[in-house]
Amino acid sequence: MGSRRYLLSKCLQALVTLWFVLTFNFFLFRVLPGDPIGMLARSEKLSPADIAALRHDQGLDLPMAQQYVVYMKNVVTGDLGESLRTGLPVRDLIGSRMWPTVLLVGLGTILASWLGILIGIRGGWRRGSRFDTTSQYSSLVLYAMPEGWLGMLLLLIFSGWLHWFPAGGYARPDETGVAHLVDLLDHLFLPLLTLTLGYIGGYAIVMRSSMIDTINEDFVHTARAKGVPERLVRSKHVVPNAFLPSFTLIILSFGFVLGGAIVIETVYSWPGLGLLTYQAIQTLDFPVIQAVFLIASAAVIVANLIADITYGYLDPRIKQV
Amino acid sequence: MRTRTRNVSATLLALMFAATITTAAAAQTATPAPSSSGDVVLRVGVIADLDTDNVFAVSAGSDYTVATSEYDMLLSFSSKDLTAAPGLATGCDHNGDYTTWTCHIRPGLKWSDGQPLTSEDIAFTYRFVIDNNIPQYKSYFPSDPTFETPDPTTLIWKAKAPTFAPEMPPWVYIVPEHIWAPYDGKDLKTIRDVSQTPAVGSGPFILTSWTPGQGFVMSRNPYYWGPTPSLDRIEYQVYTNQEAMIQALKNGEIDALDGLQPSLINSVQGSPNITLQKVVSDWWLNLAFNFGGQPGSTYTPLPALHDLVVRKAIEMAIDKNAIVQKVYEGAATPGDTIVRPASAYWHLDIPADKEFQYNPTEAAQMLQQAGYVDTNGDGIREDPKTGQPLEMRIPASTDTTGAEQAGELIVGYLKQIGIKVDLLPATDAKMNDYWGSGNFDAYIWYWSGDPDPNYQLFVFTSAQCGSWSDGCWKDPHFDKLYEEQHTEMNQTKRQAIVKEAQQYEYDQVPGVVLAYPNWLEAYRTDRFTGWVGQPGPDGYVLPTYNYDTWLYLRPLGETSSNSSSGLPGWVWLIAAVVIAGVVVVTRRGRKIEPDEA
Repeated sequence: MGSRRYLLSKCLQALVTLWFVLTFNFFLFRVLPGDPIGMLARSEKLSPADIAALRHDQGLDLPMAQQYVVYMKNVVTGDLGESLRTGLPVRDLIGSRMWPTVLLVGLGTILASWLGILIGIRGGWRRGSRFDTTSQYSSLVLYAMPEGWLGMLLLLIFSGWLHWFPAGGYARPDETGVAHLVDLLDHLFLPLLTLTLGYIGGYAIVMRSSMIDTINEDFVHTARAKGVPERLVRSKHVVPNAFLPSFTLIILSFGFVLGGAIVIETVYSWPGLGLLTYQAIQTLDFPVIQAVFLIASAAVIVANLIADITYGYLDPRIKQV
Repeated sequence: MRTRTRNVSATLLALMFAATITTAAAAQTATPAPSSSGDVVLRVGVIADLDTDNVFAVSAGSDYTVATSEYDMLLSFSSKDLTAAPGLATGCDHNGDYTTWTCHIRPGLKWSDGQPLTSEDIAFTYRFVIDNNIPQYKSYFPSDPTFETPDPTTLIWKAKAPTFAPEMPPWVYIVPEHIWAPYDGKDLKTIRDVSQTPAVGSGPFILTSWTPGQGFVMSRNPYYWGPTPSLDRIEYQVYTNQEAMIQALKNGEIDALDGLQPSLINSVQGSPNITLQKVVSDWWLNLAFNFGGQPGSTYTPLPALHDLVVRKAIEMAIDKNAIVQKVYEGAATPGDTIVRPASAYWHLDIPADKEFQYNPTEAAQMLQQAGYVDTNGDGIREDPKTGQPLEMRIPASTDTTGAEQAGELIVGYLKQIGIKVDLLPATDAKMNDYWGSGNFDAYIWYWSGDPDPNYQLFVFTSAQCGSWSDGCWKDPHFDKLYEEQHTEMNQTKRQAIVKEAQQYEYDQVPGVVLAYPNWLEAYRTDRFTGWVGQPGPDGYVLPTYNYDTWLYLRPLGETSSNSSSGLPGWVWLIAAVVIAGVVVVTRRGRKIEPDEA
């Protein structure tokens, strides 16, 4: 009973948050200075009359409230509209960018969280050891390092000097089958390395400090006093409890996957959602901006919901509160 | 048990990395080969993706590159000087009063789908543009022309008044009637939303695939009417990072690149096997003064700008050479007139004795003598008529290369002569708001136009206030000169009028042509030969005005210079590191267990 109410209230909260984000985004982007149609004027020789006609066709001359109603109706029916800039359906635009982003950011998040957690466990368990100090310093350095700078540095070294990897892009258009896969991996390596290195520190730091907190808990002392082998104290008592904060972090990070990695995608010309967001904001392409923000926020909200729900099961105390 | 799991995961991880690296290495060794299919492929890096594959929605850079390769025009632009050259028509003759032009279309032309291309397609395209009000192209048809096609190889252009329009020539891509007829009469949005990949065109290369954000591919048109190109395909790769694009050119991943930032010139210049093409300028950076009077505008721009002395003083206070050097790293020439140097036949190089020389001291004196004196000692001069300080709000386009940086220099230059500038960097979307509302005293933006000067002069006429005019400069004498050149059919006489109009505009200073920046391209010299500049050797080598480069480009023997057999050294290096890692982890695991247990 309790768990059903818990579940329902969490889902309801998520829906309200989503509605709020949608509404907020809708108005936020329309407050930005400039006019998406007008900016085509100089390059396309559009006269004021042409601009007015196009604005009318796009429904941009309607009162704001009416545009909002149309927008919400379309979102609910799954119609994301067409890009103002290219006239292509937003759904197709996002579809073509989704896979590169999932591949890069998703894989990066898996690798970084896995390695980060392993490092955190080891460092926290043997606090003060050489491994701990080394890993802590490197984690802090990596965590603090701007991703764009790290990306440029790796690009310069591995592509510029050593010529080991291509300088950017996704894959050559003329390759198919295995050749395509190989080519894709070749292009993926540097951005993935940058992303993994950039994310790893955060996970390691959180896991380590949470390990240290847990080691000092009474139940750990009790376990040791009972004579439980150290190996088991670590794997059965400390790690499962210390893992909770990292778990939330990981689930939330997966929510951010669909937001893309704007900086890294730009540095490596990786055609993901982050890059699409950046380009759409530059050209005030409202339908595209709204759609990418919708997807990114929906993903975060869903991830948050999953974290909330599973957390309730992992740590029953949460559900009771 | 735990240790074993950990060892397994470490081994898996190591294997995963090793697999990635090995496959990547295999790709690396395969990269320098011309292409896996043995086709001759040219690879081009671009900074701008396509915005559209629709010829009626073209807006910027790459759109025009594709359209120019894919379609022909009635007459094309010559690579020599951008004057009219044979295109689909071998030429056009006019009658005695220039109202009727008869164009001779090549026989036996075909579209890329094998359908015949006739004069009827050309007439259809022109009517389509006029009837459907296609913004990019509609201005090329003055004096209400009609088009007749007595036979498949003849097009008759009849205008109600004398015109040289057919020989300008009109920059209108000819499209197939059998593809576009269903959209005739539809609203502009419907026409602009048509997607055209693969397209049906008549040019040497047709867009066959486009992956937004990644790039696009053009393949040879088997029905192209001219000489068969050596290239089979042209692959465009979009780079969002210019340094990476340069690196790709140096690595040989791409053969050419388009649209380099001036600040990166030094990373390309002097590189082995790479030529940097500083393209003769076909656009200019513009400081335009606002004279006010835009319909609906509530803003009153600085009244002192109506005084020619003030405008001249501003022109003389700006160090154009410094802008060329500091903003464009030398990849520009100082600006003078509103017809850009790429239109060499029409451009007037202002003679030195008629040029405003950079002289801030004299500029300050001119203001002083005209009564613009700093009365309250705050460093800013006041207008003697209104008492208003000489302060200007100057928006500068952040989307135009160099505009904002030039603006920053201008703030300093004008401060020297007692004029305060409030620089407002703005995106083009915002610039358009300023432009439309007239809410500025001057702005820094760009102009670019056709090879023919008509359009560029047209936008400076009085009637364009509220439409194309920058700041509603209204000058009857300039309007008269525009009309004269517009109706003068003798080209030599027209050239003289066009030059007179440029000198007049320069003297009246409705704005300052700050610089003619070079467009920057670069290409490898060890892969292909036969790049054709348009116009002339210093012109664009990648298709802009015509596609001649595609016809003359030839591969230079085998292009697999970088390839080596076997795996490159880095694979062995990383493999060694991975193996060492696995060994360490495994041994550690064994050692730890007894301690902990």
